[in-house]
Amino acid sequence: MMPAATRFAGRWVFAVLVVAALLAWPLFVEDQFYQRVGALVMLAALSASAWNLVGGYAGQISIGHVLFFGCGAYASLLGFTWFEWAPILGAPFGIALSLLLALVVGGPTLRLKGHYFSMATIALAELARIIVTNAPVLGGAVGVSGPAMPRSVLDLSFISPLPYYYIFGTVLAVLLLFTWWMNRSRMGFYLRAIRGQERAARSLGVPAQRYKMYAYLVSAGFTSVAGSLYAAMLGFVDPDSGFGILLSVKMVIAAALGGAGTLFGPLVGAAILVPLEEITNAMFGGGGTGITYVVYGAIIVFISRFAPGGLAEILSRFQAWRARRAG
Amino acid sequence: MPADAPLLEARDIVVAFGSFRAVDGASLTIGKGEIIGLIGPNGAGKSTFFNCLAGDRQPQSGSIHLRGHDVTRASPEEHARLGLGRSWQVPAVFDDLSVRENVMVGAFLRHPRTADAAAAAEQVIDFTGLRPIAEARSGSLGTPARKRLEIARALATEPEILLLDEALAGLTPTEVRAAIELVRRIHARGITLVIVEHVMEVILSLADRAVVFHQGKVIAQGPPREVVQDPGVIEAYLGRSLSRKARA
Amino acid sequence: MILAQVVLNGFLVGAVYALFSSGLTLIWGMMNVVNFAHGDFVMIAMYVAFIAFTALHLGPELFVPLAAMALFLLGVLVYYGLVRHVMRGPMLAQILGTFGLALVLRYATLWIFSANFLSLPENLLGEVQTFAGLRLEPSRVVAGLAALALTIGLHMLLTRTALGSRLLAVAEDRSAAMLVGIRPDPMQALAWGLGAACTGVAGALIALFFYISPMVGESLALIAFVVVCLGGFGSVPGALVAGLTIGVIESLTSFWIGPAFKDVVVFILFLAVLWFRPQGLLGKA
Repeated sequence: MMPAATRFAGRWVFAVLVVAALLAWPLFVEDQFYQRVGALVMLAALSASAWNLVGGYAGQISIGHVLFFGCGAYASLLGFTWFEWAPILGAPFGIALSLLLALVVGGPTLRLKGHYFSMATIALAELARIIVTNAPVLGGAVGVSGPAMPRSVLDLSFISPLPYYYIFGTVLAVLLLFTWWMNRSRMGFYLRAIRGQERAARSLGVPAQRYKMYAYLVSAGFTSVAGSLYAAMLGFVDPDSGFGILLSVKMVIAAALGGAGTLFGPLVGAAILVPLEEITNAMFGGGGTGITYVVYGAIIVFISRFAPGGLAEILSRFQAWRARRAG
Repeated sequence: MPADAPLLEARDIVVAFGSFRAVDGASLTIGKGEIIGLIGPNGAGKSTFFNCLAGDRQPQSGSIHLRGHDVTRASPEEHARLGLGRSWQVPAVFDDLSVRENVMVGAFLRHPRTADAAAAAEQVIDFTGLRPIAEARSGSLGTPARKRLEIARALATEPEILLLDEALAGLTPTEVRAAIELVRRIHARGITLVIVEHVMEVILSLADRAVVFHQGKVIAQGPPREVVQDPGVIEAYLGRSLSRKARA
Repeated sequence: MILAQVVLNGFLVGAVYALFSSGLTLIWGMMNVVNFAHGDFVMIAMYVAFIAFTALHLGPELFVPLAAMALFLLGVLVYYGLVRHVMRGPMLAQILGTFGLALVLRYATLWIFSANFLSLPENLLGEVQTFAGLRLEPSRVVAGLAALALTIGLHMLLTRTALGSRLLAVAEDRSAAMLVGIRPDPMQALAWGLGAACTGVAGALIALFFYISPMVGESLALIAFVVVCLGGFGSVPGALVAGLTIGVIESLTSFWIGPAFKDVVVFILFLAVLWFRPQGLLGKA
């Protein structure tokens, strides 16, 4: 058994190495396909980590988080369509709209328990999708596009995926820092208590409704940012790529696969799922999407059946098994 | 609040499920420093009444005052803030959290900063004898440890009054003795206690005052040993025909 | 007169909604598990009917029972293979389990059959009749009436038979049922089988007059959620009334506002019920 101090230092060394590797690898990999996959991993990790605040830590399984993703994506491209703004200038409006929506619908929705909450979030996101699809002013079923040619660096329109990788990674780092801080503070304890036993938590003085709302707001804000950045990178969004239920599902799967309610679970999950999806798409072409989601579905069935805690749980089981064998 | 005001006072509480009145005009006044034993046959309404006192259920009519504040319609978290702690009949610990973290959730109520809450939790862990299992995941604990953890968690909110819902049910005689000893030490700290318990032994050895529920009403209250002699109480427990035989 | 036609069509579709929603409410009320794949069960049943018709040349009188049996088996399998293990687990596992199953069913179907819309021949059950100024499409009328009869039959089965009381006993109190010698596992598997068989019949009936596509399950699932929430969890009569209501509301919305908005009204109704009356419109307070 290592002394605690060595173990602590070891952890820091490990963390620094991981961060350095995350920063440096795209510089050594020339192939733009892999760089693009890297950027998409960061983006998926960002939205899954944002979901994780509500779904993982607070245990409220939202399957409609795409509501906020879509707000962010549409805000940035509508800003361009309507006023010729650089897409990223629309992001604050997307955040504002998401927070407002979260505040309004979150009140009654967060009061719902378990699967009732999940179903309400699905209905909300689907409502948004149908409304946007049928509103010509919002692009209707066709969707909206960004600038065809980059006009300035503010347009965040780069040919190389690398800048996106670092931009997404930076926002992800901010979110993970917040999550890390939150988890050690009162808010983290309160959220995990709410996840465990909401009634018992309230009897200990935890204002459950308020803390769930805090988590929901922060989560909505970051999910919206993810949407804005996605729209800036792709330069296009339509009702399905902005508000489609599969995007919500992807956030849930990435977090659940890596470990819902753990700091790095969503990142690990995204790092497995996104390449998987990109590779199957590349292999099977357009028809590959069906197969991709069959695999996704199988993965979540497997997780829920055998390891509800995701890879984090499998890892800790393995460690416990090794400790038993060693000890 | 005036010094002699009751700590917790419930007046004419009514809780009805459809046409069935589970609690039918029950009143109870609890003074500082008391240990109250709430007893009664199954289905007498004592658990429902208890949940009203704890703020987990709102009565259809009647009023509840805690330390002079009207809490009839107040949320459970408001009750906790005003100094009321409780345990649950079916232990409701936070399974994913360690024992220490469970206690810290309670401690955060009075100590918003993590370091302060951790320090406060350590004291409660020592006081309740949970030190040996402080790092264990609470989901892995057995019933006795869970029940103890529930009490510890509630204590960490630094309550003035603690409501224990069958905190001793399902324990072995040795564990019951340990739990009774813990309750005594909690009382010695000046915390008022309300105990719902099936085991009469516990009420007899702990309570200053037994309050007997029957058909949603308080039918008797007083020193436990006198209350259990009360013919009305015997009748409530044994039924009319049996009690007549017992008297004969 | 047009309005009467619209209401009639809504009523007939609503009866089919009531039937597959009864399956959901049975499972839900019995073990407090939501089958997120419920709509996809209906979708699978539609494909079973389609294959039975095109490949095996079976008529509706055979492919409806066949779909019911196929889905019954699927329901029992899903119970033993998945639900039994996740229903007492964390909320995340409960929700993801059937949700993942929904994805597998939906996209496997997409992969095999592609996204093309399929349909059965329009006049499989005969030509359109006119009666008192109302257009009566035999496929819709038969589907609606059969669904109505089966929903009432399910209610009878639950309330009037020994098997039904055993099912309800497990729903009421698992451990008490065990004490009187009812093993909960077969009963719950049976509930899943029956619930899925409802989707089997309903799916085969919808296939008579509705397009068949892998994606149809999603909106059907949401309709089933709405019906169950509206009718009260676990109540078959509630599901019947709510299903008919939703059918008529949808039909009227399509007529007055436009087909694109029929789901909007249904979802808003759903949210309103969840937010303001979570016990359901017809449920007890």
